[in-house]
Amino acid sequence: MSFQLAMFYIFSAILVGAAAAMITVRNPVHAALCLVLAFFTSAALWIMMEAEFLGIVLVLVYVGAVMVLFLFVVMMLDVNIARLREGFIRFLPVGALVAAAMAVVMIMVVGARHFRIEPPAPAATDVGNTEMLGRLIYTEYVYPFELAAVILLVAIVAAITLTLRRRPGTRHIDPAEQVKVKREDRIRIVKMEAEKK
Amino acid sequence: MSFPIPDLVPAIPEMFVLAMACTILVVDLFLKDDRRDVTYGLTQFTLFGALVLTWIVHVPEARVTFSGSFIADPLSDTLKSFIYVIAAGVFLYSRPYLKERGLFKGEYYVLGLFAVLGMLVMVSAYSFVTLYLGLELLSLCLYALVAFDRDSGRASEAAMKYFILGALASGMLLYGMSFLYGLSGSLEIPVVAEYLIANAGQFSVPLTFALVFVVVGLAFKLGAVPFHMWVPDVYHGAPTPVTLLIGSAPKIAGFAIIMRLLADGLGAMHADWQGMLVLLAVLSLAVGNLIAIAQTNIKRMLAYSTISHVGFLLLGILAGTQEGYAAALFYTVTYAIMAMGGFGMIILLSRQGFEAENLDDFKGLNERNPWLAFMMLLLMFSMAGVPPTVGFYAKLMVLQAVVQIGMTWLAVYAVIFSIVGAFYYLRVVKLMYFDKPADEPLPVRGLDVTVVMSVNGLLMVVLGIFPGILMSIAALAVGP
Amino acid sequence: MITLSHYLVLGAILFSLSVAGVFLNRKNAIVLLMCVELMLLAVNMNFIAFSHYSGDPAGQVFVFFILTVAAAEAAIGLAILVLLFRNRRTINVQDLDEMKG
Repeated sequence: MSFQLAMFYIFSAILVGAAAAMITVRNPVHAALCLVLAFFTSAALWIMMEAEFLGIVLVLVYVGAVMVLFLFVVMMLDVNIARLREGFIRFLPVGALVAAAMAVVMIMVVGARHFRIEPPAPAATDVGNTEMLGRLIYTEYVYPFELAAVILLVAIVAAITLTLRRRPGTRHIDPAEQVKVKREDRIRIVKMEAEKK
Repeated sequence: MSFPIPDLVPAIPEMFVLAMACTILVVDLFLKDDRRDVTYGLTQFTLFGALVLTWIVHVPEARVTFSGSFIADPLSDTLKSFIYVIAAGVFLYSRPYLKERGLFKGEYYVLGLFAVLGMLVMVSAYSFVTLYLGLELLSLCLYALVAFDRDSGRASEAAMKYFILGALASGMLLYGMSFLYGLSGSLEIPVVAEYLIANAGQFSVPLTFALVFVVVGLAFKLGAVPFHMWVPDVYHGAPTPVTLLIGSAPKIAGFAIIMRLLADGLGAMHADWQGMLVLLAVLSLAVGNLIAIAQTNIKRMLAYSTISHVGFLLLGILAGTQEGYAAALFYTVTYAIMAMGGFGMIILLSRQGFEAENLDDFKGLNERNPWLAFMMLLLMFSMAGVPPTVGFYAKLMVLQAVVQIGMTWLAVYAVIFSIVGAFYYLRVVKLMYFDKPADEPLPVRGLDVTVVMSVNGLLMVVLGIFPGILMSIAALAVGP
Repeated sequence: MITLSHYLVLGAILFSLSVAGVFLNRKNAIVLLMCVELMLLAVNMNFIAFSHYSGDPAGQVFVFFILTVAAAEAAIGLAILVLLFRNRRTINVQDLDEMKG
């Protein structure tokens, strides 16, 4: 067994273990952390396939931003974990059966019979993976690139539309109002007759 | 390295819509709430401008640009035109509803325009990348719009279901695409098609496997049985203007991706996907029509009717002939116009605090407003396929295409379930004409909405008497 | 030696696990969102493997776009989740049964 193959099996084992843990653990925070582990090991596998840029992006964007967002939301919402687990045991046999059946069928299809392709020779080093992707994205794939930008814009607009709300009841300070205040707004001088004893 | 600037001319309509959507986003920021009509006007101007631009840059031949990821051909230009017109109608019907409920905000129009852009991208997609990105652009806008009424628990619940199932469907579609890419070595639809033609007659197991995932993903997105669970909940839970948007124009875009993916891309595997579509169509026709009978909520009823109409659309596609594709296009466009009218009518009858979404709310409509009742009658007749409405010709064309490929049993089956379906459409007519009205007063509507509703209803008859116009457009778009 | 089918089998296992996750956690919306991410990871694994073994960079470019879209999707999904929690005080999908029929 070559070193590479050994590494592949180690990473794959961690990846599959993390994915299996993600769908079965009790606590959503733990599930998110398992997914982070799955992303890390996937990144390693992608780098083994000479997709360095995507491996790094997966760690930076997914682990660094998306999963942090997930964790943030899980912790912000006061979720009742026990209620969410109801029925888990009931679904477990069916779920396991479905997964196993699906995995067996899929592995039979994608297994060695149809895809026993040898790995290619390592790529020449004069053009790096990042440079190659950059060249493609800004030339051949410029139209999808613009569309991806539009999708990100939509995500911003949608997320703000859905979650930004001004509550009518909350108190807040408006500095502009404070600065504009004049003496007359605050005090009223009342002339009164001195009262007689 | 040198890089030739791609031919930008075919994509001018898309660029215009994008630029205007961004402009509206910014302009809307500076508008006071009582000037919000400016946003609405700009949105309608955008759709009209895009329609004009589409036909200015139109040429009869197909043009492929952006390194093979974009195509403008008669099919795309025709479908785009219908999308603009239907989206404009949707925005027009929605305005009074949104105003009455404090939802009249720029975001509805901005997200709506981005959804239209997504549909345009789907219609013009010529590679898996653009197809996927267009689909996601559309879907993301729709997820957000379903949850647009932020204080409605029902709407956010519907949005969550729609989101999860939509994302799973995208995942399935992508998984199938990954195998098509791996086997053919390209993401471009024509290259995949060439690969399949070269290997015709000896498709490997993984190829069929990929096809299953692609078809399941598409069936999810279209809402064909057994992947329809989201349709009734989303149609019911979303605010009616959003239901109107989801139920109308995206069906045209859905037809477009089926054409690009199954007919153009995987055309050589027609024998393989035909069987799958037969199954989906048979189930959709039965489940859609039978469950619709039991509904008391008209939005849910129309949702199940959508499922049965998807069954009919699939019948046209599975024929795999030019006549079949033209019939499916005819059917899709007709259905989009009918759905626009049907959901538009619900908006017309509703007002603040009263959604007019129960069948009982249509009781005695004839006494309260005979004209609107007549329009609803025409729409319901057309959905049921009663001659001489256009719905009849749409069904007839699809059935002809199915009979032509020798699947007479399927045509007979479809006719039987159309008759079953006629029952619940005609029940609405019966409620309107023969039942005593409740004492709810009808809201007063502006002239624009009434005029468009009249056009929408009368179109059912006009197109039904002169179906040749739409038929020749459909035949031209699909090509020889 | 690692062949293409090694990676494809890995992708298939991840995909099956994500489908199983959807089955098992059908009550818990946030884990459902994570299952969607896992499914996209499986898809990306496939694309990169095919891209690497055929020496064609297009698959990697597609993965780049899938990652972008998935990030946008996660943002909108979480926004809907927050909204849902505000309205219903729960993310339990089966408590959500106002609509029947």
